[in-house]
Amino acid sequence: MENSTKQQIIEDLLPQKFGKQGKIWVVGLSLLCILGAVAYVRQLSKGLIVTSMRDYASWGIYISNFVFFVAISLVGSLITAVLRLTNVKWSTPLTRIAEIIAVSAITFASLIIIVDMGRPDRFYNLFIHGRLQSPIVWDVIVITTYFFISILLLYFPLLPDLQIMIGLKSKTSNFLHKLYVFLGSYWKNTPQQIHISEKAISIMAITIIPVAFAIHTVTSWLFATTYRPGWDSTNFGAYFISGAFLVGAGSVLIAMYVFRTHYNLQKYITNDHFDRMGKVVVMLALLYLYFNVNEFLVPAFKMKKPEEEHLRGLFTGEYAGIFWFAITTAMIIPIVILLFKKGRKPLPAFIAGILVVIGSWFKRYLIVTPTLLHPFLPMRDVPESYKHYFPSWEEWSIAIGSLAGALLVITIFARIFPIIPIQETITENEQHEKA
Amino acid sequence: MKKHNLVSIALILFSCISFASFAQTAAAKKDLVVKLHYFNNNNQMQYLVADTKTKVDGKFQVVPGVTLRFFISGDTTAANYLGSCVTNAKGKALLLIPALAKQEWNKSAIQSFQVISPATKEYEDTKADVSITKAKIKIDTLADRKITAVVMELKDTVWTPVKGVDLKIAIRRLGGDLNVSETQTYTSDSLGMVNAEFKRDSLPGDAKGVLTLVAKAEDNDTYGNISAEIPAAWGVPTTYNSPYDRRTLFARRGHSPIWLELMAYSIIVAVWGVLIYLFIQVRKLKKIGLSA
Repeated sequence: MENSTKQQIIEDLLPQKFGKQGKIWVVGLSLLCILGAVAYVRQLSKGLIVTSMRDYASWGIYISNFVFFVAISLVGSLITAVLRLTNVKWSTPLTRIAEIIAVSAITFASLIIIVDMGRPDRFYNLFIHGRLQSPIVWDVIVITTYFFISILLLYFPLLPDLQIMIGLKSKTSNFLHKLYVFLGSYWKNTPQQIHISEKAISIMAITIIPVAFAIHTVTSWLFATTYRPGWDSTNFGAYFISGAFLVGAGSVLIAMYVFRTHYNLQKYITNDHFDRMGKVVVMLALLYLYFNVNEFLVPAFKMKKPEEEHLRGLFTGEYAGIFWFAITTAMIIPIVILLFKKGRKPLPAFIAGILVVIGSWFKRYLIVTPTLLHPFLPMRDVPESYKHYFPSWEEWSIAIGSLAGALLVITIFARIFPIIPIQETITENEQHEKA
Repeated sequence: MKKHNLVSIALILFSCISFASFAQTAAAKKDLVVKLHYFNNNNQMQYLVADTKTKVDGKFQVVPGVTLRFFISGDTTAANYLGSCVTNAKGKALLLIPALAKQEWNKSAIQSFQVISPATKEYEDTKADVSITKAKIKIDTLADRKITAVVMELKDTVWTPVKGVDLKIAIRRLGGDLNVSETQTYTSDSLGMVNAEFKRDSLPGDAKGVLTLVAKAEDNDTYGNISAEIPAAWGVPTTYNSPYDRRTLFARRGHSPIWLELMAYSIIVAVWGVLIYLFIQVRKLKKIGLSA
């Protein structure tokens, strides 16, 4: 490979300073995070009464957000592990995007669950009083495990790039240079190091798949092990995982378009990547649609009395608007867009990705709250506010703040580290040229 | 003249409104229904139970939190005051007849009690009474699992058997009494006696198989609620094994089933073993890099 090509790749993939749009984006996200923090301080001082959660709807948008974050974090295992192990080469530029989305999402999933507890010190009780029989304890264990594997899966492939970044001291700030040295100065690209690193990445790619399946299966069991209309399902694990892969893949479509456009990465994230990723999203959307048909059509066919009110609420009642919006935006429209080759071009694919993510957020809300508001025993002798749920401004602020926080982590990561693996791109380019 | 008319109309309207609001306040007060019951358990303890109810939307509902004052005999004087009690969540108030009422109690074989609910913001003042003839039941067991019970009432100072009283002969169980046979009630004969046969086989008793038999007259117009108990080792000896210490999915912390612990811990050890191995690899990479 010519040295000039290598230099060009490095030049193209180096982290870039924020432009005007980037600065506005970061300030906007930071303001949303501050608003969320202010709302959280208010919640801490006044208690969970500032939320609209009451005796029946004891899980609101915090838990919807938690399920959404856990779902989106699964993309790390899909792109990095599944595609890597199946020897899919085209996914190389997307691996780091997927991994940082995973790390950021799983971090905020953990934080939002502490927010939902009300008093954060209660988290400590989980360790001193937690029971191994409880899916909540399994969730804590598996989320922690997934977080560390995702961090390592992000870190190992970053080492060769850190060495490149250290070598470009003149192009980076002093602070960033010190950070690169701290994180990766020991990487010398020796054959022994490369061997160990590749072996470790393969081990992680294998390990992360069952852990990723476990994380979302356990999250689904938080619901499915509770006997309630809409949750009493043996299908929940697979239903959740398919939905998680879909929303994760949708988020990658969005990130691909944003990074490609703003960092001028058209040579590295090509139309072909959108085409292939679009096909993956179509497949996952069809799969999720299949599970949705199972999840709703079968109980609706039987229409058991205790489930009837809940199902009618979703199909034609109070939640029908959100339900059909979620089904249409998360699955139907993206399938229609991405089924056609023209739909798999960058912009339409980006729009499809946005639809998938927005629809999927509302889908999580529908999984959590309507069930809680349709208990088996009728709600009697309770205040009117107990029978309905609409999040308070504090809940909206915290939920939006957490989403902004996750985006901010991804944005800052992309500012500090190469969002497309430099060394892997160079190596693949060399192999391609040799071939 | 016009001015005078207007003033008169205003005054009339004002008095109408005042009367209407007064009438509303008065109408807002609800009627409280109180019933008084007398109990004599095992010939040892006498007590009174008052039930309170009120009508809300055409349905009777119990009234908790009402203070009731209890009196012995017909006079509600301070000398006859037994005590006061507040109704519980079920609208019931229970008062043990105190020892200080002994003198009044011993005056006659026929005794009456009164309960008064003073007027409150919500309810009108209400009273109820009950009159009883002192009576008791003696219960005994015979061979071949037979039970005999005798009802006696106090006539002057003599306990006299009573004919024609309906008694239930039962076994005390958790939350209720179970009849000893298919017969629901037994009527006392001229000797005040009833005989019953114990037909409940395989009924779990305590560790020695002991059951508690009870003979009782319920809501009797003359005697109130009287009962007597006796233990009998006619049950199956049963030792209660508490599930508290068992390893179950619903048990407390540290008592999860072994299979679950094995599965969970082996998965945790396996996955975290891999993670620790990976951290060791990072150290190894560092070592190699520093020595290179």
